[in-house]
Amino acid sequence: MKAITANIGYFFKETFTILKLNKLSNILSLLSITLAFFLLSLVVSTWLISTEMVEVLQQEAEINVFLSEEADDSSRYEMAESFLEIEGIQASRVVTEAEALERMENILGEESEVLTYFDENPFESFVEVKVDFEQVETVKESVSAYEDVRYVRDHQEVLDQIRNISALQRFLGTLFIVAAGTATLVIISHIIRQGIYHNRQQINTLLLLGAPNFFVALPFVLSGLVLTLAGGLVASLLTRFTVGLGYAQLVTPIPFIPLPPQELLVRNTTALILGLSIFLGLSGSIMGIRSSRKEESL
Amino acid sequence: MITAKNLSLQYPDGTIALNEINLHIKAGELVYITGPSGSGKTSLIKLLMGIEKPTAGQLEVLSHSMNRIDVKNRMFLRQYMGPVFQELKLINGRTVLDNVILGMRFLPIPKQQWKTLATDALEKVKLSHKILSYAENLSWGEKQRVAIARAIVRRPSLIIADEPTGNLDRKNAINILELLNSLRQENTSVIITTHATHLIDSKLVDQFIQIAAGQLEAKSMEEF
Ligand SMILES: Nc1ncnc2c1ncn2[C@@H]1O[C@H](COP(=O)(O)OP(=O)(O)O)[C@@H](O)[C@H]1O
Ligand SMILES: [Mg+2]
Repeated sequence: MKAITANIGYFFKETFTILKLNKLSNILSLLSITLAFFLLSLVVSTWLISTEMVEVLQQEAEINVFLSEEADDSSRYEMAESFLEIEGIQASRVVTEAEALERMENILGEESEVLTYFDENPFESFVEVKVDFEQVETVKESVSAYEDVRYVRDHQEVLDQIRNISALQRFLGTLFIVAAGTATLVIISHIIRQGIYHNRQQINTLLLLGAPNFFVALPFVLSGLVLTLAGGLVASLLTRFTVGLGYAQLVTPIPFIPLPPQELLVRNTTALILGLSIFLGLSGSIMGIRSSRKEESL
Repeated sequence: MITAKNLSLQYPDGTIALNEINLHIKAGELVYITGPSGSGKTSLIKLLMGIEKPTAGQLEVLSHSMNRIDVKNRMFLRQYMGPVFQELKLINGRTVLDNVILGMRFLPIPKQQWKTLATDALEKVKLSHKILSYAENLSWGEKQRVAIARAIVRRPSLIIADEPTGNLDRKNAINILELLNSLRQENTSVIITTHATHLIDSKLVDQFIQIAAGQLEAKSMEEF
């Protein structure tokens, strides 16, 4: 369409004028949209995290054996050795504090510098035991019987819990998409209706001059899109920041936790939020335009 | 180019604004529609532009039947018109040049020509020196000229000016009417409504259409 390409500058200028005209309510709706998108992306991120956890944990039957404080290094290695004699154990090795730290650095990737905030290594050493999937329970019992064993962590338990959480998050995620989506649609269509009302004289003039509907409507569609996209962008940045913080928080108490790579997680949620904001911006504006009263006068 | 047969317009509240009007306007004519305030002049223009539909009778404008015209054809029809509204309807916050260009943005006129055409039109209405002024900072007479420039830059088949002398002093009113009179061309008809009949230079006029209370009173210059 020639009339679109020839007028791109005009459309953006109009969009800007429309947004400026009603500054306060536009800022307020931008804030609400940002908040809605941000909450949504948090729920979605945690959902993605728990899904990844379930997937990873499902593949490995593994228990982590933490020893009492008194146990020295040599007794750790001895114990790891002796575990191999227990039926159902495939492999057993000591994960040192340094290695635990290193694993975490790998998981965190670029964000691993948060670990430098700790004065000393926050991880403790443990014995990592690979187990036949069906024998987890009996192995746990045998291992727990050792004197120096302070605590046995079973992925199965964690797995079940995460599964529950994951299901809840899927539910919440869906709920949030619907809720944030509806809220955004309502806000945008209302804002656009307001903009159309404030600009009704100019719209009337354009229509009397024979302007096509798209020519009159496009700046309004664009202004809806600008609002949702801006909200989506800010929410994405906040998410990136929050996920970074969250990773640092999560990995410290639970070093073995299998998190999806942070970059991937952020990229996926950002794509979802931006995609949603485009979709909602367009449909909200169109709803607002559709529901506006059209009246012509001289 | 415009034909009305027993054309009537009754508003929803019952007011009969036009009652069985007959008229015929040919291409290239200069036509004055006169009559006191409230006689139905603006209502006739609303019908010509498709803002209102005839409640009885027939109206044909530039080969479109206004009784049946759909939204899309009405849009195309309006693109052939150069309206000068009574309230002018310039866009505030925009320069004179932008206002004139706005009349062309959605017409099949190449973008490269917009500025030249607008500048030429503004020269024609003697506003070259105000090209970058903002619309809201102009006097009414100057605004009127911008509105006329916006109309003629569209190279319309039909220029319609509703009460163009309304807010002007005598001298400016005569100047504006002179300008409008000069816009008539072989393929461009000019229709002007006014209640200020004493300002019209009747030598130039092809047709007077005089309305009183929605009824046609006289049609010829002699009767006028
Ligand atoms: N939208 C409307 N609804 C009802 N009555 C109207 C409307 N517009 C105009 N009228 C009436 O129609 C008559 C003709 O008005 P108008 O065409 O504006 O006259 P003019 O332009 O000659 O002054 C007047 O009595 C006016 O009050
Ligand atoms: Mg009038």
